[in-house]
Amino acid sequence: MTVTLSEGAIELLIKGSEVSNPVLQCVNIRKIDGGSGPVRFRLMMSDGLHTMSSFMLSTQLNYLAEQSLVAPNCVCTVKRSVTNVLKDGRPVVIILDMEVIKPADQVGGKIGDPTPYVEGQSKPPQPAPAPAPSSRPLQPQNGSDGHTNRGPSRDFGRKPMNAPNTPSGTSKIVPIASLNPYQSKWTIRARVTNKSAIRTWSNSRGDGKLFSMEIVDESGEIRVTGFNQEVDKFYSIIEQGKVYYISKGSLKIANKQYTSLKNDYEMTLNGESTIIPCEDSQDVPMVQCDFVAIADLEAREKDAIVDVIGVCKSVEDVTRITTKNSREVSKRNIQLMDMSGRVIQVTMWGNEAETFDGSGQPILAIKGARLSDFGGRSLSTLYSSTLMINPDIPEAYKLRGWYDKEGHALDGQSMTEMRGGGGGGPTNWKTLADVKNEHLGHGDKADYFTCIGTIVYMRKENCLYQACPSKDCNKKVVDQQNGMFRCEKCDKEFPDFKYRLMLSANIADFGDNQWVTCFQDSAETLLGQKADYIGQLKESNEAAFDEVFQHANFNTFVFRNRVKLETYNDESRIKVTVMEAKPVDHKEYSKRLIMNIRKAAAQ
Amino acid sequence: MTGVFESPKSRINAAMISQHVNRPVCFVGRVEKVRSERVLSDSLITLIDIRLKCLAAVNNLSLDEELSGIVEVIGMVSNKGTIMAAAYTMFREEKGISFDLELYNEALKVIQDFSQYYPFGATSG
Repeated sequence: MTVTLSEGAIELLIKGSEVSNPVLQCVNIRKIDGGSGPVRFRLMMSDGLHTMSSFMLSTQLNYLAEQSLVAPNCVCTVKRSVTNVLKDGRPVVIILDMEVIKPADQVGGKIGDPTPYVEGQSKPPQPAPAPAPSSRPLQPQNGSDGHTNRGPSRDFGRKPMNAPNTPSGTSKIVPIASLNPYQSKWTIRARVTNKSAIRTWSNSRGDGKLFSMEIVDESGEIRVTGFNQEVDKFYSIIEQGKVYYISKGSLKIANKQYTSLKNDYEMTLNGESTIIPCEDSQDVPMVQCDFVAIADLEAREKDAIVDVIGVCKSVEDVTRITTKNSREVSKRNIQLMDMSGRVIQVTMWGNEAETFDGSGQPILAIKGARLSDFGGRSLSTLYSSTLMINPDIPEAYKLRGWYDKEGHALDGQSMTEMRGGGGGGPTNWKTLADVKNEHLGHGDKADYFTCIGTIVYMRKENCLYQACPSKDCNKKVVDQQNGMFRCEKCDKEFPDFKYRLMLSANIADFGDNQWVTCFQDSAETLLGQKADYIGQLKESNEAAFDEVFQHANFNTFVFRNRVKLETYNDESRIKVTVMEAKPVDHKEYSKRLIMNIRKAAAQ
Repeated sequence: MTGVFESPKSRINAAMISQHVNRPVCFVGRVEKVRSERVLSDSLITLIDIRLKCLAAVNNLSLDEELSGIVEVIGMVSNKGTIMAAAYTMFREEKGISFDLELYNEALKVIQDFSQYYPFGATSG
């Protein structure tokens, strides 16, 4: 078997051109002890025409050299490589993936008569050709060499003040997209789009703190993490939204589980890193988002990290919940709608939930939200998510225009199904006549519907009962007639009880009326008073008690109801229980009516 | 002017004003400028002169009252396309919820498009 080397490939590689799987012969291989870093191998390769010694094996390929798979005279295909130019202008080709196609012992010797490649013959801009590369260590590759790094970084410190756009000399501004672990001599100019709070950890190996941020330039984005000293050093100078020169971080393969950024690498700040504010920042983009239409979220995988932008249609109040590890956090749900006309529920947590102001239906862009299949499809913000209210980006203006013109009248179909029992928004709108005509509740399972109703009558009699005073037990107690009250469920006697409401009310809309049962919370909403206060009035002030009912009559609410056919003594009756009663949002209601009218007219 | 109160009034926006010359109307808009006469705009951002001069005479109301925000006026449309107001009501913000003029305008269009179901112009304002 004979092999043909890819003649001319070396020249192309050095110029950074695309060469498809060049076949090269290894002429020599040398081990470089890289100080604190891992061992690196440097290769001299030949393409039959030229030899070049500035090939480096990326560390994950070290085994090839260590197991002598790559040895002088062997022939290999270089499948993936990166060409970098060192600060003195010497090129270095990092081999990221290669395959030995003919081992050394099957190759007679050097193929052809290659001469050392000398740069500069065909391309003028390289000031320093790569002479005598054989014995020089590749200093910048071993990034921790103190003397090569400190000088330039001091240099660099002055630079932004004088000429932020024309950094001269060694630390040239490179795009984020070109960063890789095999190059240490770089400076990027990027905007911080998200900065985390400082987190601390403590485990068996000790404790520490870290923060992370996301930065962006016109070429791409990357996540940057700083630990301990770097937290102290940099955290206070970093401001979200500002632009910085950042140089000399360590790059490693990104853990995609924790980040949504489109970059294969992430950066860790180290002792050599510098971060300097950049004043002239106009041309650096704000945030890079790859917005997904809400309607398209259905097709996405669960737990996907997505960027969305939408109009904040409605906002729920903050609630406090206790997580599995018994930490109390705030959460808030909002409904987000975009031009696809679909709505999705977004859950925000912690500080964001507490401070979010959804008044005026702002445009909300979320970078890096997690898609969940909770209740169909919903979104949840993460620690790493960036929330932007009315961001200054074209998508936001487009959306605002659309929403103000037509979107606001749409009753977007929600991707998030509302749970039967818990909170959530109204979905299944019915008139009371619909409920009867459609025989809701006649099935095996209870039906839920939401309606607008006006209270036309409430039964004062038996609206209160005496309940067990222990927490979370609302069972009716039996008056023992000796000053004690017995709860069968708790099997205990108490000297007191608490009043609870079980109110029968008749509600009406334009077409029909319906008896409904309201328990504690919804009854309190209807009556506008707390159960214990109403209980007190009943005992002490009949007139005031009546007044509460008088006052509550003819008020209109949005009722979310559960309806079920129940049978007592061979008699079947439809039983409607109010799950939730809340005041009518007239704006929302009007919009829905207008939309329904338009829909009906279009048919 | 008293006729305005008794006669049926059409609820209109600025776009409809030319069709209602010399007829009593009800108009809701945002106060944009206050000159000697008051100017209201509806959500179409069309400015309409609303003359409230008559108010003092009719209702003994002071013209000095601060007029701002959303106002509903009833009055006659003059042949200059302005409204001679006979009475007005200011819609104050209620519980932080401001009057949504655009939504109101949508509702107006519905009333207009399906006037057979909304015979307000013929009965009451």
